[in-house]
Amino acid sequence: MDSYESAPQHIASSRLKDYFIGATPLQKRLESVRKQTSFVPTPPRRKIPQCSQLQEDNDPQKVAFLLHKQWTLYSLTPLYKFSYTNLKEYASLLSAFIAAEKQKGLAVEVGEDFNIKVTFSTLLGMKGTQRDPEAFLVQILSKSQLPSENREHKVLWTGWFCCIFGDSLLETVSEDFTCVPLFLANGAETNTAIVGTWFQKTFDCYFSPLAINAFNLSWMAAMWTACKMDQYMAATEFLWSVPCSPQSLDISYAIHPEDAKALWDSVHKTPGEVTQEEVDLFMDCLYSHFHRHFKIHLSATRLVRVSTSVASAHTDGKIKILCHKYLIGVLAYLTELAIFQID
Amino acid sequence: MDETVAEFFKRTILKIPMTEMMTILKAWDFLSEKQLQNVNFQQRKESLVQDLVLLCEKRASVHDAALLDIVYTQFHRHRKVWDVFQMSKGPGEDIDLFDMEQFKSSFKKILQRALKNVMVSFRDAEENAVWIRIAWGTQYRKPNQYKPVYVVYYSQTPYAFTSSCPLRSNIPLLGQALTVASNHHKIVKMDLRSRYLDSLKAIVFKQYNQTFETYNSTTPLQEKSLELDIHMDSRIIHENRIEKERVQRVTQETFGDYSQPRLEFAQYKLETKFKSDFNGDILAERKEPLRCLIKFSSPHLLEALKSLAPAGIADAPLSPLLTCIPNKGMNYFKIKDK
Repeated sequence: MDSYESAPQHIASSRLKDYFIGATPLQKRLESVRKQTSFVPTPPRRKIPQCSQLQEDNDPQKVAFLLHKQWTLYSLTPLYKFSYTNLKEYASLLSAFIAAEKQKGLAVEVGEDFNIKVTFSTLLGMKGTQRDPEAFLVQILSKSQLPSENREHKVLWTGWFCCIFGDSLLETVSEDFTCVPLFLANGAETNTAIVGTWFQKTFDCYFSPLAINAFNLSWMAAMWTACKMDQYMAATEFLWSVPCSPQSLDISYAIHPEDAKALWDSVHKTPGEVTQEEVDLFMDCLYSHFHRHFKIHLSATRLVRVSTSVASAHTDGKIKILCHKYLIGVLAYLTELAIFQID
Repeated sequence: MDETVAEFFKRTILKIPMTEMMTILKAWDFLSEKQLQNVNFQQRKESLVQDLVLLCEKRASVHDAALLDIVYTQFHRHRKVWDVFQMSKGPGEDIDLFDMEQFKSSFKKILQRALKNVMVSFRDAEENAVWIRIAWGTQYRKPNQYKPVYVVYYSQTPYAFTSSCPLRSNIPLLGQALTVASNHHKIVKMDLRSRYLDSLKAIVFKQYNQTFETYNSTTPLQEKSLELDIHMDSRIIHENRIEKERVQRVTQETFGDYSQPRLEFAQYKLETKFKSDFNGDILAERKEPLRCLIKFSSPHLLEALKSLAPAGIADAPLSPLLTCIPNKGMNYFKIKDK
């Protein structure tokens, strides 16, 4: 890959500063390799998601279908020679590929034999900085066999590709590559596999399931609790899985969102940002409140899921975004995790 | 036979797994030995069901189908979630002799007087219990056979177990019918719920802490620690051995040696202030409590809780909020600061 000189100061990098404080993960990594010190995988502080300029441009109606849906997450290496001008062509190629796979009997689709239609479209405004590539959406729809019935096409599968504040990755690749490291899929696994195979063959890229560990789940819980909400729609809820045998035990702990916010406000010291100490203290308070009542050490168990009015995330790499206002903020964190996995 | 009744038969028989078909049909005791012998149980399920429905068509009624449904539910009681009701007599009321037939007729009458379309079926069971199946209808519609409520009443006790009622508005009527028909004064829903009817019984009738062997409770523990020593290399020593033994002892005292009754969850609604030794100034000024809802779920909750302290995940003794579950007969709690 060609070496990439860092661009002079302009709007994009000041936007980047809006998100990160301190070195990007890639810079830190290089630093630690040079110094041969142990590597801390995430920045010690992050900005609380705010409503960004770019986000205000995107139409809530157009992206409403992304909310309240469960998405399975994958990281994706940069696409080689992908072009936004060829979307229609990609749609027909993928459509043909799916049909061929079905004939091979590899696609397991139960039910009537129906024709499918594939669409590729861009999602405007789904980016952190102007430098981020455009997000795009792929959908598989079913076509009604009967010409008389003018039924609306039913969406069978949706997948979208995006890059939110992906500068650390963008800096490392040449112009032949398009970086959309975060991939989200909703629909049958078999379809995800087929679409993935086609992308991998066509653009020489690689998908990898994106798991979210307990450390990052705690960060998400803290950051999303920190977000200002006009109206709370859901409790702040955590789910732990206890490694006891022979019977498994799940503990779910839901706090009234106003009380969670009050706890966070009491812990929070640095305006506008979230630090590691604050996340640790926030979680510690929850653990100690629980221990006071039940004498159980939650810290010895495995955090599996967190849920707030902003979004909910599961350790298996599943996300549901509930709030349009912080959509970009949530995606930014996930992009960061995806990029880290690719590196 | 009415088409709807035939359909009801068909759907009920279809529910039964092939491996249990003969057992359940025999328990139902409607088709004779001879009739059952003539049926080919080796064929595919759909054809078997057709044959059986044809057999029933001649003399079976909707009530017979209801009885078959009861038998199926008795074999698959864990498919329903059971609530527990406790009845009480008024002060100074005599304990009269219980008459099962009178109870049944009274129960049925009360429901039929209140609701035009309701179907009630009874099946006697062991321990002076009766299984009651109620199919609810409305003013203008016949009873819906596919959403029945089951009540299991132990006549020698003030307890009745009911499966979740899809029509919540019928619950007070059900309670009233039970209370009046059994000569009680009041009925109260306990904060206890589980799929495992037998475990609920064990908890409520205080039968869970019976062990079959009687022995000195200290000897097994000694045996256990001796075992550890004999089978292990003498160069390996247990850290915190004294503490481990203490935890084992305390756990055993709390939970006993017997197998725990089976519950799938416990739920706690907490409204308590945040207090912390280490983080004293967090939320110090806040007068309002933290409103939390905590739910423990497990295929076998009490066994899982029992294993926490020995595994080092919890302190011993475990909190009384958890250990009181079988004693208090509750798995729903509301906890507030005093």
